[in-house]
Amino acid sequence: MLRESSLRAPRVAIAVDRRAAEILPTRTPMDVSELRKNAKVKLDGHPYIVVEFQFVKPGKGQGLYKCKLKHMITGAVLDRTWRSGETFEEANVESRKMQYLFVDQNGYTFMDSETYEQVALNPEVVGDDKNFLLDQLPVDVLFYNDRPVGVTLPSHIVLKVTECMPGVKGDTATNATKPAKLETGHEVQVPLFIKEGDMLKIDTRTGEYVERVNQTK
Amino acid sequence: MRAVGGVPWPERVRLWDAALSAVCGYFREQGLREVSTPVRVPAVAVEPFIEPIAAPPALLATSPELAMKRLLARDSGSIFQIAHVFRRAEIGERHSEEFHLVEWYRVGAPIDAVLADVEAIVARVFESTGAIGHAPKDWRRVRFRDAVAATCGVRLRGDEDAEALVAALPPVLAEPVAAALPRAHAATAAVRALLAWTAFFSAWSDLSFEPWLKEQEGVHLVEFPAPLAALAELDPAEPSLARRAECHVRGLELANGYVELRDPGEQRRRFEVVAGLRAAFELPTLPIDAAFLGDLPRLPPCSGMALGLDRLITLAAGRTRIGDVSLALGEI
Repeated sequence: MLRESSLRAPRVAIAVDRRAAEILPTRTPMDVSELRKNAKVKLDGHPYIVVEFQFVKPGKGQGLYKCKLKHMITGAVLDRTWRSGETFEEANVESRKMQYLFVDQNGYTFMDSETYEQVALNPEVVGDDKNFLLDQLPVDVLFYNDRPVGVTLPSHIVLKVTECMPGVKGDTATNATKPAKLETGHEVQVPLFIKEGDMLKIDTRTGEYVERVNQTK
Repeated sequence: MRAVGGVPWPERVRLWDAALSAVCGYFREQGLREVSTPVRVPAVAVEPFIEPIAAPPALLATSPELAMKRLLARDSGSIFQIAHVFRRAEIGERHSEEFHLVEWYRVGAPIDAVLADVEAIVARVFESTGAIGHAPKDWRRVRFRDAVAATCGVRLRGDEDAEALVAALPPVLAEPVAAALPRAHAATAAVRALLAWTAFFSAWSDLSFEPWLKEQEGVHLVEFPAPLAALAELDPAEPSLARRAECHVRGLELANGYVELRDPGEQRRRFEVVAGLRAAFELPTLPIDAAFLGDLPRLPPCSGMALGLDRLITLAAGRTRIGDVSLALGEI
């Protein structure tokens, strides 16, 4: 009874998560009656959070704990039903508010906004999100068994155009696009009227151009 | 949390006042005596997945059934009570660890008498609370085996063993039953049959029966398969069937009742089968209430019913979550 429906494509290599799972110490199984909304559950080595929870039970039957689970790293969603008498494993996952500092041979370094503790994430974990890492960008870093396994960026960020072909004045109506390079090195397709120095709103989930904003930095 | 979207407080108090007095008024008119049995008890009925809350050295009652039957065995005559009962880890829109059971027994009466009581109480509570929700327009009686046949196309006799049941079921229902069975691989055939039927009943209720029930008004599900007899007597003419009934309104289970089993040997055997299932699931061992079994030979022929009052008030208020009408102020 495992139905899987993926909301959007994984942004972080699952391989990283699998490796984290392998070094997982075996945890005491929890009785299924401990399941609640927002519980963090380990399933097939992956960390999930319970986003919807329903308990149903015929008066004299076996209780059903119907959960909608969201993969804490990829965001993939699946339905899972546990029954009275079964157990589950808790996923040791926490999310910490951090900001991006710099990249060097140790990887991408982030700093905990409260404790100032610094953590270096390897490029596999950061994945395509590297295209949007600006100095001091606030992010959520996910820790699974105290290892950083994923980064969640703000859904939209504003980046400056550093390179593109000259703007075509007045052409705001056609669907024609051209490539533009942003200050992080990321390249996006933009409308023809965009010019160097423009500030663009980018959707970090798709990597795509959203709009030009009147903002200076 | 409960306050969000719930019924405003003065209205909740009015709903409970109206419902409580309607229930008591009905039973008084009918000549039943009101009793109040202890909430702390030495033992509870041993049921597959009903978990008591401990209150050392006692347990909190999961139902007033055993205590009331001991009064019946002492010539109480027909009795009722509105009992506070406790079931651990039953938390949800239709569940709360503490709730109210209206429980009653009619001496010398068939199951039809207590089913008629359910219909009358439901009507009275809707009427007394101002009929904010819609009272069930009608009630129909459906036999367990017919309901199974109608909703999933399988004809069950009621005395299939675990393996025969799995073999008879469509894959979507066979799967959860087969998944549960390995836990009881070393258990007796009776334990395995109870486990299979219990797992089937839950899966079928969830996937097939409840969606059908939601389209119905009031439904009495009757003639349960023998492994699900619990504390009901078997039909002497057809011992694969138990004289047990469940009452539902538009998919919400409201009440459960029996023609009461009076044979202490058979009752002990059933408790032991349940204990075997509980052991297979590593659930806490529950003591078997020897005092109750000792009184059982003196239990007069009777039928009994237990009705969830919180759910009935929820329905009467036109709501779907018992938390919307609960008088509990905050979570424990």
